Amino acid sequence: MRVLAVVLSSPSDSGWAEVVGAGRAAAQAAGGVLEVAVLGPEEDVTQEVAREAWRGGAERIWLAADPVLHDLSGDRYVAALTEVARTVQPTVLLLRADALGAELGPRVAWRLQAASIPDVVGVRRDPEGALLWIRPMYGGKALAAVRSHRPVTVVTVRPRAFSAQPVRSGDPSPEGIQTVSLEEAVRTVSRVRGLEHRKQEAAGPRLEEARVVVGGGRGIGGEEGFRVLEDLARLLGGAVGASRAAVDAGWVPGHLQIGQTGKKIAPELYLAVGISGASQHLAGVSGARHIVAINTDPEAPIFKAAEVGVVGDWKEIVPRLVERLRERKRADPQDL
Amino acid sequence: MPPETLREATREVFWNIPPAGVGVMYLLTAVAAGVFGYGIYREYRWWRRGKPIRRLRPVWPRLRLVGRHVLGHARLLADRLPGLYHFAFFWGFLALFLGTVVVFIHHDLRIPIMRGLFYLYFQSATLDLMGLVAVVGVGAALIYRHVGGPPRLRRGVWSDTFLLLLFEAILLTGFVVEGLRIAATEDPWGRWSPVGFIVAQAFREAGLTAGSMRWLHAILWWLHFVLATAFVAYLPHSKLFHLLLAPLNVYLQPLERAGSPRPLPLEEAQTLGVRKLEDFTWKDLLDLDVCTECGRCTAVCPASATGKPLSPMHLILDLRQEMRRGKPEEPLAGRVVREEALWACTTCMACMEACPVFIEHVPKILDLRRYLVMEEARIPGGMREALRSLEAREHPWAGTRWSRRDWYRGLPVRELREAGHAEAVDVVYWAGCAVLDERSQRVARALVRILNHAGLRVGVLGPEERCTGDPARRMGDEFLFRTLATANLDTFARYGVRQVVTSCPHCYNVLKNEYRDLGGDLQVQHHTELLFSLLRQGRLNGPVREAGEDRVRVTYHDPCYLARHNGVVDPPREILAGLPGLKLAEMPRRGRNTFCCGAGGGRAWVEERGAERVALHRAREAVGTGAEALAVGCPFCLQMLEDAVKSVARGRPVRVLDVAELVAEFLPEPERVGSEPEAE
Amino acid sequence: MRIVVCVKQVLDPELPAEEFVVDRAARRPAVANPRWVMSTFDEIALEVALQMREAVGEASVVALTLGGPSADEVLRKALAMGAQEALRIDAAPLGEPDGVQTAAALAAAVRAHLWPVDVVVCGRQAADTDAGQVGPLLAEMLGFPVVTNVLRARPGAPGTLRLERETEEGTEVVEAQLPVLLTVTNAECNVPRMPRVRDIMAAQRKTVPTVGVGDLPPEAMSPWTTLADLELPQTEGRCQMIEGETVEAKVEALLAELERLKVV
Repeated sequence: MRVLAVVLSSPSDSGWAEVVGAGRAAAQAAGGVLEVAVLGPEEDVTQEVAREAWRGGAERIWLAADPVLHDLSGDRYVAALTEVARTVQPTVLLLRADALGAELGPRVAWRLQAASIPDVVGVRRDPEGALLWIRPMYGGKALAAVRSHRPVTVVTVRPRAFSAQPVRSGDPSPEGIQTVSLEEAVRTVSRVRGLEHRKQEAAGPRLEEARVVVGGGRGIGGEEGFRVLEDLARLLGGAVGASRAAVDAGWVPGHLQIGQTGKKIAPELYLAVGISGASQHLAGVSGARHIVAINTDPEAPIFKAAEVGVVGDWKEIVPRLVERLRERKRADPQDL
Repeated sequence: MPPETLREATREVFWNIPPAGVGVMYLLTAVAAGVFGYGIYREYRWWRRGKPIRRLRPVWPRLRLVGRHVLGHARLLADRLPGLYHFAFFWGFLALFLGTVVVFIHHDLRIPIMRGLFYLYFQSATLDLMGLVAVVGVGAALIYRHVGGPPRLRRGVWSDTFLLLLFEAILLTGFVVEGLRIAATEDPWGRWSPVGFIVAQAFREAGLTAGSMRWLHAILWWLHFVLATAFVAYLPHSKLFHLLLAPLNVYLQPLERAGSPRPLPLEEAQTLGVRKLEDFTWKDLLDLDVCTECGRCTAVCPASATGKPLSPMHLILDLRQEMRRGKPEEPLAGRVVREEALWACTTCMACMEACPVFIEHVPKILDLRRYLVMEEARIPGGMREALRSLEAREHPWAGTRWSRRDWYRGLPVRELREAGHAEAVDVVYWAGCAVLDERSQRVARALVRILNHAGLRVGVLGPEERCTGDPARRMGDEFLFRTLATANLDTFARYGVRQVVTSCPHCYNVLKNEYRDLGGDLQVQHHTELLFSLLRQGRLNGPVREAGEDRVRVTYHDPCYLARHNGVVDPPREILAGLPGLKLAEMPRRGRNTFCCGAGGGRAWVEERGAERVALHRAREAVGTGAEALAVGCPFCLQMLEDAVKSVARGRPVRVLDVAELVAEFLPEPERVGSEPEAE
Repeated sequence: MRIVVCVKQVLDPELPAEEFVVDRAARRPAVANPRWVMSTFDEIALEVALQMREAVGEASVVALTLGGPSADEVLRKALAMGAQEALRIDAAPLGEPDGVQTAAALAAAVRAHLWPVDVVVCGRQAADTDAGQVGPLLAEMLGFPVVTNVLRARPGAPGTLRLERETEEGTEVVEAQLPVLLTVTNAECNVPRMPRVRDIMAAQRKTVPTVGVGDLPPEAMSPWTTLADLELPQTEGRCQMIEGETVEAKVEALLAELERLKVV
């Protein structure tokens, strides 16, 4: 069986690790072969990404580059992907589950009359040898193992769910690379036209959407303390929030308040710093996947809600954490 | 003096006034009566437009209240000095008014009562004394308004000053006229009117001739008459209207469930809630005219005290102005009354408790909220979320990680579902939605421990409980309230529940007083009432601590819905007094005079903007007693005050806990109170 | 202009995690006191549709669902919020439909009963499956373009809609040709309106029309994916306390945990 991990090398993002990693896992589980297709507007970029993917373990590389893919329209990308899929004829097609991937997955699946399985975080095989794709359901409260009943399956992979450490070095041989020409995509007229882009002013994601949120409470002690939390949040690619105590004290503006009468957030990680863990506050983070708490009081209720806890003074722990994260980022920018 | 002569004592009515003058006087009186009558009629036409409400019966209890509050000034005297001077000029005015009635009976009805001993003792002596008392009272009022009085009296100080001066002028001219008459006629009974007599002496000593005295008398008589007549004519057009309306309003007061919203038949109502003035009941419209602008309501309002845009007095006055001068068809909420003001109310009823003329502020606010919520769907975000949560999962605490069963896991309580019927247990404990908050779970567990210790079998409805609907009702969503209440009543019927004990005063109030409208017939006890009766029966085995040692100072915060709405003030105090080693230190605002924690009226779900959080205000008062512990009887008060006390106590540890938790600490088995639920 | 909003009745997503229990054999949740609500993003979809209607003037909003009789409740809520019509497709013949079957049933109903349609609005993902497939699938089946993560929709040049949508870096404005399918996500501008009680009462008195599943392509009569297993993720429930003598040691241990949780 052929597993095709598709990487979209559009200018805004070139995350490939999860699809290649997932592809490897699937190929291994099913006893199949992993191939990688790279689609993008610029040939040299797609080639560069292809090299990385090959190092990650792809047997064959498919390249599909055309300037028409600068326009991130769904119609066009669906056409392109369908073309690639029809050429490659994989059993499993993997896409990264970002905003574009979430749209493309089901659409391409329908065009290929394939099953569509979104947002997977794991893969294994069942006793009969069929692939079971693991994905969260019910707001993260349950994990489902999904099986496809179609000859072809399109899967989208949750970002960061898989990693792909290189298994080889060097470059792929020319035989291992094939080009797909995107005639269909070129011919497709998009029915959606972009008019304006508005990048948001604040650095970092919005509180409600951030993958990581660093929350500060009464223990922070003042406005300056929140500067440190902002550094930490930035390094983790997240946003800063606060408990009511901090907002009442005037250390942060009200729109950062998380809790019963503030915002409800559902990040991957909620890092509660100097927060006691009153249930009114916790009511705002009940959707968080992982809660990590730092507090000087070992009896603080936050530790009953947290998965990981550190008893200590945040004023010592957080700056040190920031320092270490900076070191790591310098060493390996891709990792963060 | 020989008794026969005494029997002849009298004076000439209209002495020194020619018949033509008297005629003019009657004419002017008629005109004034017309203006007076029109003033009343104009307002009456408005009151008639209001919706019906039953307030005329029962008669005797109402009359008794009139006696207590109008004649006795019970509420007015709560503010001692103004209460006293008002008492003075109230009785003075009443007496003098009676005096005028006597003249009318004597002169116009030709029933010669104004003579003899009655004339001397009442018409002369008593009236003079009462007049003097009034003069002193009004004088005190005038001074206090400008010097030394509370801020609420500074508002409108010049128009009040004008009215007081008018009143004083009438009184003083009356004395002068009397004095001049006594002097000019050399009235043999002059001494019987001490003040008039002194005035007469003064004029005699000033050397006025009889002629000038008559002349002066005539002028001042006319002045006195014009002032008094103007007073009467002006009465219904100014705050003087309260002279007539206040006693009426005291009679018409709600005898029970004062803070509850008006009945609202959802299917038949043309408008849900109050959109325009005539959607109010006639009593509500009458209330608007009774306001004396005294400001006592605003002075005790927790919202006003913390910088919110709500002032109960201004609410009434703004509605009144709209009634007199506004656009009657236009909506009130948002236009005449700010929406933020309506949402700032905690429904604590301090305003109504303070109002000397028994205006009902809270039901009006609730009715205006009903319109906003049910007809316009306009409500602050936090409250909206609470309503959504109530609708979806029958509790207002969106985001909680607890279920209704968690608090009693491992405890010897029976679910009625398993027990089958309420008779299988001794006490049905209505836990309320508070148990979806971890802190309050400890209170519930402490209470169960105590009840078990007393040998009582406790039953709970557990997951079959749903919110009583109180938050929905206070926020104005009568529909949601009815849905929840009806479902709860079904559950009660199913298990034959006739009595419950609850630790939440909001549940208590609604289950006890408001479920009746939907057919409920429950006996409801607050847990402090039950604990008190257990303590008195000696069913809680003796205290552990030795009396006399380590006297811990405790202060008690009366929950509004327990103390003010329902008059339950003593049981918690008796409990605390019965626990040895505790010394009760009272806060200045206690009992029915308690100051809100800020959570009522749906405010628990709203972020407070404005100068200060209500809870901080109260926390300071508590900490100011020097107490080491603050006892409460309500899960909302507990949540609000525990948080606030931490901010205010600055390092000094002040425990905030429920009365039940305190009692549990005295039980013989020293289990850890507040052990955590087992994770499943 | 005809706007169809697809709504789904789901298990209340705000159920506390501790109450969420799964019947592993049956591969479905087995919650003791289940509560059913309209899926979160579907409410937002309704709001976006209603706002669009207010902007356009001449438009009607139809709420459509695939479900059993209890799903009438969410349709009534849609009517109370301001939808003009509602329609339920009876799901019984399909058992427990997967995404493809759901989309196929919706497409068939739209074609058979609601055509012509200018806009179809769906929530970004259902609050139970969290899958987000039905929207794009339905668009493909109807032959409509799709715009995802829409925040606000307004009429554009004739025959188009002007859409504000969320992107990874912020927002963008796009123009889409009608007919079009939108999937929506939440923002401050599209918080679902609270229905007026008057409208709730009126909606309760209405009977909701129901139709059969209709003619589905034969492939759609059986599911394309099935659940092989449903389990609760392994959360120990106890907080793992980081040990360390020094601050440095604690931070190292913390970093290791953050890596294990795949957030760093």
